[in-house]
Amino acid sequence: MRYFITVILFFLLISVDAQDSLSNLLDKEMSTKMAGKKQYTYATFKGTQLVNSRTVETIGKGDLDFRVSHRFGDIGGQFGGEKSFFGLENSTDVKISFDYGITNRLTAGVSRSKGATSVRQLYEVSLKYKLLRQTDGHTMPFTVTAYSNVVVTSMSSNAKANTPDHFNSFGDRLSFANQLLIARKFSDNFSLMLVPSWVHTNYVIHNDQNDIFAIGIGGRVKLTKRMALVADYFKVFRNKTSINNFENDGLSFYNPLGIGVEFETGGHVFDFTFTNSTAIMENQFIPYTTTSWRQWRFRWGFNLSRIFSLKKNK
Amino acid sequence: MKKVRTILAALLILSAVAGNAQGKWFTRNGKINFFSKTNGENIDADNNEVFSMIDPVKNEMAFQVLNTGFKFHKALMQEHFNENYMESSKYPKASFKGNFTDPSKIDFTKDGTYKVLVAGDLTMHGETKKINIPATIIVAGGKVSGESKFNIKLADYDIKIPSVVSNQISEDVAVTVKCQYEAYK
Repeated sequence: MRYFITVILFFLLISVDAQDSLSNLLDKEMSTKMAGKKQYTYATFKGTQLVNSRTVETIGKGDLDFRVSHRFGDIGGQFGGEKSFFGLENSTDVKISFDYGITNRLTAGVSRSKGATSVRQLYEVSLKYKLLRQTDGHTMPFTVTAYSNVVVTSMSSNAKANTPDHFNSFGDRLSFANQLLIARKFSDNFSLMLVPSWVHTNYVIHNDQNDIFAIGIGGRVKLTKRMALVADYFKVFRNKTSINNFENDGLSFYNPLGIGVEFETGGHVFDFTFTNSTAIMENQFIPYTTTSWRQWRFRWGFNLSRIFSLKKNK
Repeated sequence: MKKVRTILAALLILSAVAGNAQGKWFTRNGKINFFSKTNGENIDADNNEVFSMIDPVKNEMAFQVLNTGFKFHKALMQEHFNENYMESSKYPKASFKGNFTDPSKIDFTKDGTYKVLVAGDLTMHGETKKINIPATIIVAGGKVSGESKFNIKLADYDIKIPSVVSNQISEDVAVTVKCQYEAYK
């Protein structure tokens, strides 16, 4: 009996004294709860655009992203130098866009751009949907977003046949870009992205291709909380015959490479960039970049974004 | 011997039934809100997953909350809160540990509304500061609830507001905490 009492007392004592501190108890309770809960990775990139490439990011529900992008003329080479003040007095492309968050994962956009090839006056409608979201921990290692657009040119048709801007029908004015954006935020300071891309142009000239595939790679390295280095590169797969035929006509194609510095301040994101591509739309810079870094035919550019919330305040 | 056994049985029953009168109080869905008002923009965020525990015997209390659990009206605000200000991947939690400055003022076994002062350490963004805050404890029908409103200064927790957005984010933030406790088992 005495033994029995001792055991009981012992247990009573344990239940009173041997308990953890409150903080430890809360830690335990919290980790139990969090173990079954997904934490989605946030801010893989700041905003929807890197340099030339889009990012996996979508616009928050009810928010509107207003963007202005600009590409100046060649810094050096035949068209650059002091006479055009290193390209700043020319602009190869300008784009104004509005993207609206229908849900946190679905963004719809409209844009107008000047256009940098002989096809200009471009209107674009686009949809972007976040298919998969990276989670902290190991359940989902990537964020995957699908992007598709339709671009139409409003310019008057060139009467001369076999020119890129000769349109027999409305369909000839259309082009499409489809991308799968696959990104991983490896750490707070480093995110990397792969972008398999397919551009289809309804009407192309004799030596050209309707379908062009490319693979993009892009990344961000944060230098400070609000400043980052960004870069992207597209390897374009154009067939040899097409490349050779264009080269015989004196036109060479290059892979677009953009590098830039990104600044973020509250609702603004500002990218200050250099790129060899002249166009801003995927539909043009993927198939038709004909300017090269090596010939000093790269340019200054900027992407500016401002997010407006269209939702009423509480 | 029989007497001892009876006493033991009574003791066990007592500790099982009445034990909670002075046991711990716990919640995993307390509410916290913070509010910052400027001419530019109001910042208003809620988190309904506050973990809190009160131990009346030892006169101790603790609160914990995950920064990523704060819900903002605007998605971008929520992103900036975690990414730029709280640095939630580095400092995932905010916590408070403290006690009642005068525990004799509260009787957790008796219904009533008790206005009390709480003193303790508030830790967030890797910084710990001693704070003294007023709180109200309500004991009613064997349930305990608590409420507190207080202000904090962002600078105390090394949270820096860049000058370009200083007109949108106030240096002083009003915090409201409301918890409905259950007996901890």
